Amino acid sequence: MSGVNDDADASLVERIRETPQPAMRWLAGALALFVLEAGAVVNAVTGLFGSPVDIPTLLSRDVIPNNGYQTPAGVWEETFLGLSAGQAWAFRVVLIYLYAFIVAWWVWRGYLVFRKHYRHADWTPRDDMVDRLRGHRWGQFGAIIVFMFVVMALFAPALGPTTVERTISDPYSYHVEYYEDGELQNTTVGQANLGSRSQGNPDRNVGPMQYDDFGRFHPFGTIPSGKDMFTFMAAGARVSLFIGLVSIGISGFIAAAFALLTAYYKGLVDLVVVITGDSIMSLPRLLFVMLLSVVLGGSWISSIYNGGFLLALIFAGTGWPFLWRSVRGPAFQVAEQEWIDAAKSFGQKPRVTMQKHMAPYILGYLLVYASMSLGGIIVAVAGLSFLGLGISPPTPEWGRAIDMGQAYVTTSSWHISFIPGVMIVLVVTAFNALGDGIRDAVDPQSEGGDTSTEATAGTGGGA
Amino acid sequence: MSRWRYFAKRVLLSIPVLVFGASITFLVIRAGPLDPVSAILGPQGDPQAYEAIERRLGLNQPLWQQYIDYMVRLFTFDLGQSWVVQPNTSVYELVLSYAPRTIWLGFWSVLIAIFIGIPLGFYAGLNPNTFSDYVASFGGIVWRAMPNFWLAVILMSVLSQSEKILFGFDWEAWLVPTIVTGPPPLPDPIWGLFTNPDQFLRALKKIAPAAIVLGSASMGNEMRIGRTAVLETINSNYIETAKAKGVPPRSLVWKHIFRNALIPLVPIITGEAFLLIGGSVLVETVFDISGIGFLFFQGITNGDMPLVGSLMFIFILLVVVINIVQDLLYTIIDPRVGYDGGN
Amino acid sequence: MAQTERTETRSEQEPLLSVENLQTAFFTDKEVIRAVDGISFDIRRGETVGIVGESGSGKSVTARSIMGLVDTPGRILDGSSIRFDGEELTDKTEKEYRNIRGGDIAMVFQDPLTSLNPVYSVGNQIKEALRLHQGMKGAQATEEAIDLLEAVGIPDASRRVKEYPHEFSGGMRQRAVIAMALACDPELLICDEPTTALDVTIQAQILELLDDLQEKRDLAIMFITHDMGVIAETSDRVNVMYAGEVVESAPVEELFANPRHPYTQGLLKSIPGNQPDADRLETIEGDVPTPNEPATYCRFEPRCPKAFDDCTRVHPEGVEVNADADDHTAACLLYPEDESREEAVAVHDRRGNDEEVTNE
Repeated sequence: MSGVNDDADASLVERIRETPQPAMRWLAGALALFVLEAGAVVNAVTGLFGSPVDIPTLLSRDVIPNNGYQTPAGVWEETFLGLSAGQAWAFRVVLIYLYAFIVAWWVWRGYLVFRKHYRHADWTPRDDMVDRLRGHRWGQFGAIIVFMFVVMALFAPALGPTTVERTISDPYSYHVEYYEDGELQNTTVGQANLGSRSQGNPDRNVGPMQYDDFGRFHPFGTIPSGKDMFTFMAAGARVSLFIGLVSIGISGFIAAAFALLTAYYKGLVDLVVVITGDSIMSLPRLLFVMLLSVVLGGSWISSIYNGGFLLALIFAGTGWPFLWRSVRGPAFQVAEQEWIDAAKSFGQKPRVTMQKHMAPYILGYLLVYASMSLGGIIVAVAGLSFLGLGISPPTPEWGRAIDMGQAYVTTSSWHISFIPGVMIVLVVTAFNALGDGIRDAVDPQSEGGDTSTEATAGTGGGA
Repeated sequence: MSRWRYFAKRVLLSIPVLVFGASITFLVIRAGPLDPVSAILGPQGDPQAYEAIERRLGLNQPLWQQYIDYMVRLFTFDLGQSWVVQPNTSVYELVLSYAPRTIWLGFWSVLIAIFIGIPLGFYAGLNPNTFSDYVASFGGIVWRAMPNFWLAVILMSVLSQSEKILFGFDWEAWLVPTIVTGPPPLPDPIWGLFTNPDQFLRALKKIAPAAIVLGSASMGNEMRIGRTAVLETINSNYIETAKAKGVPPRSLVWKHIFRNALIPLVPIITGEAFLLIGGSVLVETVFDISGIGFLFFQGITNGDMPLVGSLMFIFILLVVVINIVQDLLYTIIDPRVGYDGGN
Repeated sequence: MAQTERTETRSEQEPLLSVENLQTAFFTDKEVIRAVDGISFDIRRGETVGIVGESGSGKSVTARSIMGLVDTPGRILDGSSIRFDGEELTDKTEKEYRNIRGGDIAMVFQDPLTSLNPVYSVGNQIKEALRLHQGMKGAQATEEAIDLLEAVGIPDASRRVKEYPHEFSGGMRQRAVIAMALACDPELLICDEPTTALDVTIQAQILELLDDLQEKRDLAIMFITHDMGVIAETSDRVNVMYAGEVVESAPVEELFANPRHPYTQGLLKSIPGNQPDADRLETIEGDVPTPNEPATYCRFEPRCPKAFDDCTRVHPEGVEVNADADDHTAACLLYPEDESREEAVAVHDRRGNDEEVTNE
């Protein structure tokens, strides 16, 4: 696309130098946006290598705090601008999402600027695909919800009313202040949690959008152990997203590699992969995942992310045949094209042929099926945690929330089981919608139902 | 190659799949890091008992020897015993007592999915872009995304307190008295079901919520695929030819559209059967139906590896059989099968 | 194709099919597509009428309109008339139309591969037609089906009748489709590009077959194609269609010898065989427009080498090309050629207004 033309045309850098204004304007905006969150990025990056460096970020909970308390006079102390805790939290959440959407929009603008001013080609087939996406309402709906889900996972520490450390992992090391009977009290968060449990009884329940007795705001209520559910869900979003992305990434890579190899070499390679793939596909997937997660539960891998990484690997290992089957068709089609023969005839190395000529064509399809499978994985992981087999406590996971709230569905604590379920339905539907959108963009003539829907059915709502 | 030779070929091909699946199970169980003997004995066991059990399980033999023994036993249907969940009971007995409940559940789930999902999908395909089509399609999409264990939890809770929530309708007392959770009372011998309508009704009502949960999950998919299949068939050239011949609409739908639209549905229907094998674990747990999925779950959490290994083999066998059924259905419905290599 | 020697008595005989001012439009959310915009032509018994034009000219929609196969969002507009064997088809109910379809008017489609239902045997599908229109069942129907297959030149018919479409080759499939169409002895056979999907040698066989059948059964054929060569071979009479209108109508020899409308002239010139010595192939530049509004001008004008000012103002009607020719009409302001330009334009103008009056 850019800069690799060895004809007389200029490289990207030179083209930018020619008309610098659009690029400079865009870079200025990007820099401004980055500054807002620079602290968090630096924190995360340095955290990987040792003790994180603490630079204040504009959108963090320190700048817009909501952990204050209300004096008997009705004034809120230690919250942002003296707003009530709930309002301060809502304000921060809105700001974060606004920021995220602006960043996304700015990146989109950057792509448009590039396309208009700096790209060598006037038009590529990808432009048509992008244009089709722009008009696809259902796909856009999916994209927006998925984006919001990803933002929730990425910004989890800043989004919740409290943090995971404060309320879930280490509640007895933190303190909260509140007014009781006109006096300013101070207890540990752990004690406060014990007093805010939701256990079905209207006296002992903190429902959605309520304050508990300690002046803390709970947008989603609390769970039976008294911890804040929104924080739980946001952290759980991180886990689900992580497992989903890692497993899809790995299985997608394997599926693509196998598809290209079998399409290019055909013959024996194809036969071997077919037999292996079919055999793995015929194992009842959920049962096998359960078995593996228990058997390997004691190994060192399962300590990474409390079993999250292990689960991702297991899903990848059992899932690649479905993805492979889906892209096998397009890969074979591309292998039949004449330019592949042409490449072979002038001695092009197989690896380069596959990378350069075949891979781009199956990438679109891979994205479609990957997106749809992601939803299924989220449901499956939730199902495992529901049974107690997946992510081990205390790492939050949506399925476990449903399990915890099982007994209270018909009581005043219905929110514990209900809200995670609704969120799962929303996110999975969004992933499916996104997949639909990408598929219509990549191949507008493809049918609505495809053979791999059997595969997604296997990982989807039935799990 | 004729249709039936193609079918025979597929049956033959399923044997290596069975072998491969069993082998993987063996690998996971025996070669994995879990120690079955400790699971059986518990954390404190004296070394003598440990060795005794090890010998009985054949675990002191070299791995390849164990593998051969394992495969031979499985294929002669010697399923061994359970050691932890119900010690000294043969797996065969356990299966016999647990399986019928799962079969009852599976039967009704598939029925619900097929006889509600497919007609709904066909209706939507025959009347596309109407309001009811949109409602049905949207419902199907959302339903597909729903985790079935969540639906099970909600349904179970609502039904057990139905007087409060469903405006006084008491599910538990309706028709025949049952409680929401617990295994369905299946009479022994099993054909007592058909001779005694009261028992039949009782067993049916007991399993209904679970079957609705499992069935409706697949229903969404079948509806969607059915709708697409009908839409594609309607727009195909041979339907236009039939119209040009003067074929009346009834015959058009039932003779021409139906059979062609069923073809893409076959893998979906059999796909649902796979789901049952896995998904039943969750539903059985919630509704406390002591079915075979629940047994498997118990086996895993208790580390009862001999039980788990044999059960896994049964499941794999089931999957292979379902695949063969799918191929059989294809062979019957679609005369093109095997002609150009099949699907 | 057997050229009928009935030209003298042509105008005296009552036509089998008489299409007058047929208008079929498709009403989508975005636009109205006037696929067929006021065409008129006749087909006599035993005659082959060719309809020729590029893709998008409205030929297939014409055929489907006659068969009553136009579905929402399309419909035949008021003021159209299709008279078959003395009866007005546009008034018929769906049920009545079904009797006509297959029984009196049959249709053969373009792609034989997808025209037959893949899950039923060929014999089954032929017998279905027999049962619908002639009440034949059982062994009698099977016998008849076998006869039909033999009549279309399929060898070993008694074995073939039980086989499935995918077991037939392309040419044989089209023969089977023709057999199915003829099962109930229709009087008019509409063929929509029946040989386009076949290769040239098979095409010749199918055309010969149609010729044969026409003679034996006194069949009228409406032959739709974009291939001028096929038209030359098969038709007695040709209607040239462009953008939903008939722009020229003439007996086949006359058309090829003396094409009048600039479009027809361009079509004939662009046949490679007609330009053996040319360096560059002559073509008609541009694409067929998709008509959205009723025509108040000549739709071919943008691509016409002979266009002049009036062409954008006055809608050309189908007029006789000169005083003597009563069966050669062309919708072009250059004709009638024996009148002066202004007078000719006035003729078209008047005719157009008359038609509007009678339509309201």
